[in-house]
Amino acid sequence: MEVVSNAIEVHDLVKLFGRARALDGLELSVSAGEVHGFLGPNGAGKSTTIRVLLGLLRADGGTTTVFGLDPWRDATAIHRRLAYVPGDVSVWPNLSGGETIDLLLRMRDLDPRATRRDELLQRFEFDPTKKGRAYSKGNRQKVALVAAFAAPTDLLVLDEPTSGLDPLMEQVFNECLAERKAEGTTVLLSSHILSEVERLADRVTIIRRGRTVESGTLTELRHLRRNRVRAEVSGPLPDLTDLAGVHDVEVDGRVVSASVDPVGLPLLLKALDAAGVVSLTSAPPTLEELFLDAYRSTGG
Amino acid sequence: MRGVTDRLRGTGLLLRFALRRDRVLVPVWVLLLTATVVASAAATGPLYATAGERVAAAEALNASPAIVALYGPILDTTSLGELSMTKMTVLYAVFVAFMSVVVVRRHTRVEEETGRAELVGATAVGADAPVAAALLEAALASLLVGTLAAVGNIACGLPAMGSVLFGASWAGIGHVGAGIAVLSAQLSSSARTVGFIASAVVGVLYVLRAIGDTSASWLSWLTPFGWGTQLSAWSEPRAWLLVGYPVLALVLTAAGLALRRRRDLGAGVLPDRPGPARGAPRLGDALALVWRQQRTGLAGWTVGIGAIGIAMGSIVPGIGDLLDTDRTRPIIEAMGGVGGLQDSLVFALASVVAVVITCFGIGAVTRAAGDEHDGRTETVLATATSRAAVLVAVASAALLGSTWLLLVSGAATAVGRGDGVGAVGAALVQAPAVWVVLAVALLLLSVRSRWAVAGWAVLAACVTLGQVGAGLELPDWVLGLSPFHHVPKYPAEAFAWTPELLMTALTALVLGVAWTRYRSRDIG
Ligand SMILES: Nc1ncnc2c1ncn2[C@@H]1O[C@H](COP(=O)(O)OP(=O)(O)OP(=O)(O)O)[C@@H](O)[C@H]1O
Ligand SMILES: [Mg+2]
Repeated sequence: MEVVSNAIEVHDLVKLFGRARALDGLELSVSAGEVHGFLGPNGAGKSTTIRVLLGLLRADGGTTTVFGLDPWRDATAIHRRLAYVPGDVSVWPNLSGGETIDLLLRMRDLDPRATRRDELLQRFEFDPTKKGRAYSKGNRQKVALVAAFAAPTDLLVLDEPTSGLDPLMEQVFNECLAERKAEGTTVLLSSHILSEVERLADRVTIIRRGRTVESGTLTELRHLRRNRVRAEVSGPLPDLTDLAGVHDVEVDGRVVSASVDPVGLPLLLKALDAAGVVSLTSAPPTLEELFLDAYRSTGG
Repeated sequence: MRGVTDRLRGTGLLLRFALRRDRVLVPVWVLLLTATVVASAAATGPLYATAGERVAAAEALNASPAIVALYGPILDTTSLGELSMTKMTVLYAVFVAFMSVVVVRRHTRVEEETGRAELVGATAVGADAPVAAALLEAALASLLVGTLAAVGNIACGLPAMGSVLFGASWAGIGHVGAGIAVLSAQLSSSARTVGFIASAVVGVLYVLRAIGDTSASWLSWLTPFGWGTQLSAWSEPRAWLLVGYPVLALVLTAAGLALRRRRDLGAGVLPDRPGPARGAPRLGDALALVWRQQRTGLAGWTVGIGAIGIAMGSIVPGIGDLLDTDRTRPIIEAMGGVGGLQDSLVFALASVVAVVITCFGIGAVTRAAGDEHDGRTETVLATATSRAAVLVAVASAALLGSTWLLLVSGAATAVGRGDGVGAVGAALVQAPAVWVVLAVALLLLSVRSRWAVAGWAVLAACVTLGQVGAGLELPDWVLGLSPFHHVPKYPAEAFAWTPELLMTALTALVLGVAWTRYRSRDIG
């Protein structure tokens, strides 16, 4: 049994476009076998990072390795072990969808007849005989998805893979990804659909303006964040505003709610207990809240 | 009436936007055409010491079926204006028509194919506004180039009346080009196919005129490219012929607009045929992909170049008989006899065809730039395909494709002429010069994909140097900037290895530099 190494390891990555710093000391590590959510607002640098990982862009600083190799020098060796789905797939206007899928598979040294291509065509309800120029946005997306899911691979690099898919197809995508996850495929998933990431990702990295602002498992990230506590009390309402670690206090009749840092929780519970708590709910932050929080709190 | 204004709402806005997008393309095109007119008008007069010499030159041109096929006849051999504008009247009028084709296609079908038309269509802009803006821009550009051509000719001392009529014929052919483009743009949903159809229509109209001018003269009256000659702008003009251009342009445009109303946005009148559900096993790498992309185009080019070659070849043997008059015999003897004359003609035709064939190669390079811009190159490079394989594929399509076409052209000319390897040789000696231009285009692609379109400018510069450089008496080193200047004038003169090998070596060098750039730059 070999040591579990990281499939992707990015340290202090810098990428300049002219004078603009698209990536500015980005950190990212994806261990083998995990599904890694890659989040950030528009223009944060997700696609740029992915292009560096694929050896399409040359980094201006930092270290980047995929499977322990340098993507700039060993691009083809790395690419043999991965499949990539961009967020805006462009196909050749005069090739049919079927031809394009087979071409992409053959370019990865795979024999299309030995893959699950036909099964996936059915699941994605995709007509492979139309010419490329006739496909809609979602259907172009399916071309890349079928090619990516058709054969086992060590790593899937997905950059907003479901953009343009209808909800039904999005579900098919989720099933395919779950199957891949069960097989132990490593996945880097950049997406703006947080429920998708929340359901499938083992760990997430949130970036903003080319820098990493959060990274860890969802549980870890939640532990760092405030829970929303809501309580109904029978006695006199306690004054919670002065308690350390308790924020955003709201009072509505006998119901009081507040956001609580992990350190403030014991104090809050003590105060509520004293006030004669009748009912109590505590909700962990959703990924959406974590995400919005991460965007706002870190200045750049 | 309200309906019409509604459908045209926003035309002015879109026109300004289109003009902004074309602020380099159209001025460069117009200025190049104007420059050739001025250079030709200024250079022709001083070329001949006496009016008699000039008439003899005009008669010699008329006597050559190849020249007449290429440029049309000179109706009044005594007219300086008509002699000066020989090349412009018909051949360069083709470039005026193409300017409109490019402008209209760019702002109509290309916009629809990329989906940008949908964005615009969803705004308060009227349904006919985009096509109206494209047509207006083409009309403005045509009027501009016609006006500048007329002004240029007058400034060079040619008769004002003739200059104005000539300019009007250019403006007219520009309008016709726009009509052809707007009709073609309705036929297919593919911008590439639309470009192909429009070019084919322009080509057929030009060839009909060539046949008309050399044999069945009534044909020349049926095509707008014949009108430029028959207008007889410089002496006893038939000004009423000028009406033909706007009438034809209006008919074509009306037909185009009628078809446009009957179809959906993005669709074509000709149906899209379905393709195979599976890819052929051969279609499995970058090289196969590029050749698959070029397949249809190259087949079309092969047929076209082959037909032109046979037509040209069959003209060559007749040239001796036609010129065999008491007056011309001494001139011909001085040029090395009938054989020598035929050989110069073969070389001259081969050098024109070489430029046309270079267009195929540059098209292949700019297509690769389009693939990169749209993200298809990224998709390919994210597979196990190396950058070397991608660049080699493009280079092979450009270089081998054009070399193949040169071979076809030479072989077809030899077949048409009914003898000799001379024609094949004449075509192949052009190859190193074609390669140099294509290598420069590949270098531009390799430095930055957006620069690849400048390959057209490089070719245009070479052609302009060759066409107007000698007339302007530019120094030799300037003329020598064009690789075509160094091609041995085989078979009229002896074949020379040195320039050919040097140009081949230069090609290799430029390609080497291109590769070092391509391997170390960002993709996309
Ligand atoms: N080729 C380029 N040239 C110049 N700037 C670029 C280029 N590509 C990206 N950028 C800039 O780099 C920054 C990061 O862009 P990137 O596409 O990586 O963002 P993203 O996180 O993928 O955003 P989105 O969620 O919108 O896809 C942006 O400011 C963008 O404008
Ligand atoms: Mg992106």
